[in-house]
Amino acid sequence: MNNPSAATATNVSKIYGHGDSEVRALDDVSVQFETGKFTAIMGPSGSGKSTLMHCMAGLDEMTQGSVTIADIDIASLKDKDLTKLRRDKIGFVFQSFNLVPTLTADENIRLPLLLGNNKGNEEWIQKVINTVHLQDRLTHRPSELSGGQQQRVAVARALASEPAIIFADEPTGNLDSTTGNEILSFMRKAVDELGQTIVMVTHDPVSASYADRIVFLKDGKIAGELLEPTPELVLDYMKKLGH
Amino acid sequence: MWRIALKGIFGRKARLVLTSLAVILGTAFLSGTAVFSATLNQTFNNLFSDVFRNVDSYVRSTQVIEADFGQQERQRIPVELVDVVKQVPGVADVQADIQAFARIIGKDGKPLGAEGNGPPTFGSVGQKFKGALWTISQGRFAAGPTEVVLDEASAKTGKFVLGDTVKVVAQSGSREFSLVGIASYGNVRSPGGATFALFDLATAQEFLAKPGFVDDILVSGDGSLSDTELAKAINTAIPSTYKTETLTGAQITKETQDQIGTALSFFGILLSVFSYIALGVGCFVIYNVFSISAAQRQRENALLRAIGASKKQVTRAMLIESVVVGLFGSTVGLIAGIGLSKALSALLKAANIDLPSGGLVVPRSAIVNTIIVGLIVTVASAWLPARRAGRVPPLAAMRETAIEVVALTRRRTIFGLALIALGIASIVTVTNGASKTWLGFGILFFFSGTITLGPVIARPVALLLGKPAEKLRGVTGTMARQNSARNPKRTSRTAAPVLIGVALVTAVAALAASISSQIDGVFTQQFKGDYAISTSARGFGGLSPSLADDINAIPQVERATGIGLLTVKIDGKGQYLTTINPVTAEGVFDIGLTSGTYADLTADTIFVSQKYADNHATKLGDIIQVTLADAQVKTLSIAGIYQYDSLAGKYTVSKDLVKDSTVITFDLGVYIKMKPGVSNADARAKLQAAVDKYGQGTLLSKREYIDSQSGKINQLLGLIYGLLFLSVIIAVVGIIITLLLSVFERQREIGLLRAVGMTKSQVRTTVRWESVITSLIGAVVGIVLGVGLGWVVVYALRDQGLSSFSVPVGSTVFILILAFVIGVLAAVYPAWRATRVNLLAAITTS
Repeated sequence: MNNPSAATATNVSKIYGHGDSEVRALDDVSVQFETGKFTAIMGPSGSGKSTLMHCMAGLDEMTQGSVTIADIDIASLKDKDLTKLRRDKIGFVFQSFNLVPTLTADENIRLPLLLGNNKGNEEWIQKVINTVHLQDRLTHRPSELSGGQQQRVAVARALASEPAIIFADEPTGNLDSTTGNEILSFMRKAVDELGQTIVMVTHDPVSASYADRIVFLKDGKIAGELLEPTPELVLDYMKKLGH
Repeated sequence: MWRIALKGIFGRKARLVLTSLAVILGTAFLSGTAVFSATLNQTFNNLFSDVFRNVDSYVRSTQVIEADFGQQERQRIPVELVDVVKQVPGVADVQADIQAFARIIGKDGKPLGAEGNGPPTFGSVGQKFKGALWTISQGRFAAGPTEVVLDEASAKTGKFVLGDTVKVVAQSGSREFSLVGIASYGNVRSPGGATFALFDLATAQEFLAKPGFVDDILVSGDGSLSDTELAKAINTAIPSTYKTETLTGAQITKETQDQIGTALSFFGILLSVFSYIALGVGCFVIYNVFSISAAQRQRENALLRAIGASKKQVTRAMLIESVVVGLFGSTVGLIAGIGLSKALSALLKAANIDLPSGGLVVPRSAIVNTIIVGLIVTVASAWLPARRAGRVPPLAAMRETAIEVVALTRRRTIFGLALIALGIASIVTVTNGASKTWLGFGILFFFSGTITLGPVIARPVALLLGKPAEKLRGVTGTMARQNSARNPKRTSRTAAPVLIGVALVTAVAALAASISSQIDGVFTQQFKGDYAISTSARGFGGLSPSLADDINAIPQVERATGIGLLTVKIDGKGQYLTTINPVTAEGVFDIGLTSGTYADLTADTIFVSQKYADNHATKLGDIIQVTLADAQVKTLSIAGIYQYDSLAGKYTVSKDLVKDSTVITFDLGVYIKMKPGVSNADARAKLQAAVDKYGQGTLLSKREYIDSQSGKINQLLGLIYGLLFLSVIIAVVGIIITLLLSVFERQREIGLLRAVGMTKSQVRTTVRWESVITSLIGAVVGIVLGVGLGWVVVYALRDQGLSSFSVPVGSTVFILILAFVIGVLAAVYPAWRATRVNLLAAITTS
């Protein structure tokens, strides 16, 4: 982890359609995400924040530009290697439908490791499980867990393989504010205490205020940055940007 | 509702095709077999009307022995009648006809055609005749004792050209002829794949039959009389002492067509039984598809309910869809079936069974039947899912994901167990002596019970069978195992077609294994020789009786005895007698004489089985009157009683019985005992030389012979396996459809897995193992049921002499391997589809 940047996007563009109907979801975006930091990406709907995350996580193909994750240029990777990169180097937390219903919480947490036939670092995994307080829920299936518990399992899964970077897409979007804050605290703890790198897409100023830094997107372009945010600062900044 | 239903159907063409696939397959077999049977029937009808087109009258003996299985043995008529018929006014031309056993030996020394199993091999008369059956295509008809004409197909397969020397084996032995002509039969190269060697009349009588006798006389009129008048005139011209009858051309055509029709209708019934089994299996697939599709459209249906559609309307919309699917499926099935029957005909042609090109016959009944049956089956199978669709609460429209209701009611368990109990009870009452019809009910109850219980047992069985997958494949195996146990109703419905097919195959295999081991036991007990010469020709031709004599002349041979079969009439009924040579039978063929010795068997005596003696209260010295095929009556006294009747049957006589009659006998087997100390190689060489001289029969060691006898049942097995294969195909399609729909349902899950790092090949592995587990559930439960069913059938047949039950271990292992392979194959396309899931669409929340 000598490189201060866990993920770097350089001149990334994502264009849908051709000619007159052309839509630039991302327009020449360059951004770096520092190792060991919690970064939030904000922007109005259609600003391209999810698209940026998908392109950087190797879930979607970009039209132009390059992305490196843990010093690997992902544009050159074939599907199989890209899949392995996601499995070994990237953690994911989605808004909903995060877990495989047929697997237990424990199996869901270890899923990326199991898929890679990788035992993983047991000490680390136990630490993660303790951090998100799931010790007594490990044998349960997702249908037997509450929404908050399910998201905690998802966070634990994202952490389990000690990835280079974790992408979270509106991780609290489906939760009430108390449970949501709980999840965000866990993510904050993961960065502070476990030294993880997290990039979170959100539209909620309160959620974003948990981050070390906020990157604002508008019309597919970087519109600004905010360090050490509080909810008030975020709201002010958003007003300035003309939300 | 009509419009919504129709829009729903045509809006999703892929689903329509998928749903229709099961209907298409089921009805295709139905129409295919119907069209094939009708075409075959028509083909033979045309063939015989062609054959007898120019025959106006047909003279034959009235003396017939009718034996089991509709076999007939008609007596021959004296050749002098040919001249009598020729003198009748109105007769233009006559031909005496003989049809007897003759085998053409190929240039490599092997007989043409498959011995016993293939179409018959005939020797017949070929001559110039106005009402000719045979027309010369090359050379000329045979004239004189050294000439022969072959049918075109045989000449082609044997690579014979005019001038070649052809060896032919007939009842009187083998002889070489010079090929002077090649003939065709109507417009075919040879009728129905049979081989024909044609001779002139005198040669045919002497070589094929008995001098002075012919089978029948074909008459062509000069046109001055009607066929009926001509037949009448001929009949009055022949003295009644000859015991003949004269048929018109139309009558003999009709009679022959009817005979073939009866034989073919049996074949047709057999085919349609299996196509109905296939259709029944298809019902499960249709039912399953509609259930899944209803579950997947739960939100759509709930929305309809929410905005005011009644339960009835939702149900009706689904039923309308089933009507469309049924009509579409059975129409495509009908057309596919016609193609299928064409493929069957092509297959026959490839097997060298040349049928005259009569064109395809598509009877109206086949069309109507296919469409109606297809429609009924589809709508009936969709009934329950449609009713369930109507019961969807409007609130379900708001739910996140649509999940099929998997609650298992206790009622189901109780009902299933009750059915099984009823089945067992019925079977037990039969073992305690109740009527055997209860067996059928018992089996039916047991099957229905198992199918009813299916969803209850599917989960534990899936989890059990999935264990190895988990061990072998890690987390992908775990997911496959859990997926197959996830929806027990769906899994059990998908496995049910496999279960039915496997249960039937296993039952048949168990029956065959039992019969096989029984036959093995019988031959080990009664066949005491070291070698046997066997022929698989049944009822028509066989080994020349002089073969046994030749072998006895070999110095290394201790003793050889021929065993044959004779058709006679006893008390007006056709019966088979076993013919043996009493001089050589002792110590080679053991019938377990309890009284009398082999030496007591002469031309005037008969042996009967212990069972016969008991049933008829006969004793030594009693008289049995036997009418031979040439109408001679023999009065035989019982000189011995024997115990082992599984080979010898009720009656055993000496081959001397027919010495002074016109009846021809063949041996069906020659049993040989070698002198002590003769090496295997030496014995084989000497015996093979004797066999080769006749070009007939196969030399087998004791073990080979017993195996070949007990293995005969496997030929039947092959046919049944082939027919059940139809059901297997439908079962595979059922698995494919279910997997496709499941993959569709789990798109988000698959997308998630792909996002967090599951490779495409791991996605495929998961689908593949789920498929294998489902297929194995069907196979394992099917095998258990099948073995039970086999035991029941063997038990039911115990008074037919089947005393021991054998479990078909080999077949069972084979079925398990096959089920595994089927699972893997069925998963290929769904697994590929699973890898095509749009990752982004799956993980982004709408």
